[in-house]
Amino acid sequence: MMTYLDSAATTMQKPATVERAMAYALTHMASPGRGGHVPALLAADTAFACREAAAELFHMDDPANVVFTQNATHALNLAIKSVVKPGDTVVVSGYEHNAVTRPLTALGCQIRVARSPLFEPQVILAQFDRLITEDVACVICTYVSNVFGYILPVEEIADLCRRRGVPFILDASQGAGALPVHMDRLGCAYVGMPGHKGLYGPQGTGLLLCGEGQESTTLLEGGTGSLSARQEMPDFLPDRLEAGTHNVPGIAGLLEGLRFIRRKGEGTVLRHEQALTTLAAEKLSAIPGVTVYAAPDPALQAGVLSFTVERMDCETVGAKLGEEGIAVRAGLHCAPYAHESAGTLKTGTVRVSFSAFNRKKDVERLVQVVGRLAVQTEK
Amino acid sequence: MVYYLIVCRSLTYAQRTEAVLSRAGITAHILRAPKSVDSEGCTHGVRVSERDLTAALVVLARAKLSPKRIFVFASDGSYKEVIL
Repeated sequence: MMTYLDSAATTMQKPATVERAMAYALTHMASPGRGGHVPALLAADTAFACREAAAELFHMDDPANVVFTQNATHALNLAIKSVVKPGDTVVVSGYEHNAVTRPLTALGCQIRVARSPLFEPQVILAQFDRLITEDVACVICTYVSNVFGYILPVEEIADLCRRRGVPFILDASQGAGALPVHMDRLGCAYVGMPGHKGLYGPQGTGLLLCGEGQESTTLLEGGTGSLSARQEMPDFLPDRLEAGTHNVPGIAGLLEGLRFIRRKGEGTVLRHEQALTTLAAEKLSAIPGVTVYAAPDPALQAGVLSFTVERMDCETVGAKLGEEGIAVRAGLHCAPYAHESAGTLKTGTVRVSFSAFNRKKDVERLVQVVGRLAVQTEK
Repeated sequence: MVYYLIVCRSLTYAQRTEAVLSRAGITAHILRAPKSVDSEGCTHGVRVSERDLTAALVVLARAKLSPKRIFVFASDGSYKEVIL
């Protein structure tokens, strides 16, 4: 049986209701806003229920500001290209994913990086404080490092941005569902997140949460089922950013994922994942030749943990774990900035990441196999 | 029975309007607005009965959901705009 420890890429185990809702949508739902018949209305009700569930979970007044996207990368591209103009100066953390840094590079931005060592929130705050000057067009920060699970002090960074009048974009790819996202408190311009990780929806879903009054730039133009006589895209959300047919089965599944999170209650999934992370860190650290990147204070780390094995390439470790039926991710995890900050750019790391469906026995199995691999490298 | 059609700027706003009204105990139904009432095409609206219109407008004003336009469904099957 597979031990799945790659939930930072996608949570493969989903609540049973997700699959059921998707199957139902495939055979009973049409395209929202494209007809007055029952299947179209059912699809529209499902889409709206999903927007409402997201708005409630993320403390937003208006569900119309919840935009469906294909994934977090799509959401972040929309956010970045709405706020940032070519050549602008943008401040980012030293833990960003390529989903943030590649669009900025494509726009020819001046990227200022708030570099800091792992698990030192005061240092990174001081860096942001120093770098957010009046010529800065935007600040972008990840909530949780997808490589190291480091929870960044995003509320404080958002506060800095608010006080200096600089738009703030939050990448909640690894935080949403586990950590609280209070749109009302953060005052973000945008928050981007996948639907298929901590929200337990299917792949092909994502959300863009839009702050009040944002003037969003389209990436796609086309039919929206509204203002069809006009050739310009509607100027209101969500229609402006949702050209083309929706992924209704995906949205139906995502709605069930959101309901699953709500039933669990705020903080429950995080506490569960942190307990597994702490256990894995303790046990892996005890194996000679294994270096673990764990927070001295467990409260600073979510359900993601990186490690390396001495004298063994991280990809080899990942492949050998895979042969033993343990799914992890190895390499740079599309986040070279994070590896540069942590000093692991040359080696990469092996990453394990947990979900609500993992148990202690999964950690025990991982530790057992890594222990065996580490002994082999000593010989 | 006389019905009013509250025209909304999008399907999502029509859904929000319906939800706000339902929570206030006012029966409302979403429908696609007839082509004759909106030259911009593909518009959605929310239908409420005559006796609920005033209360509906109060509730919507409180929720900051201002109707785009309002029409009354006439007995001959046509819609006439209501100027408030």
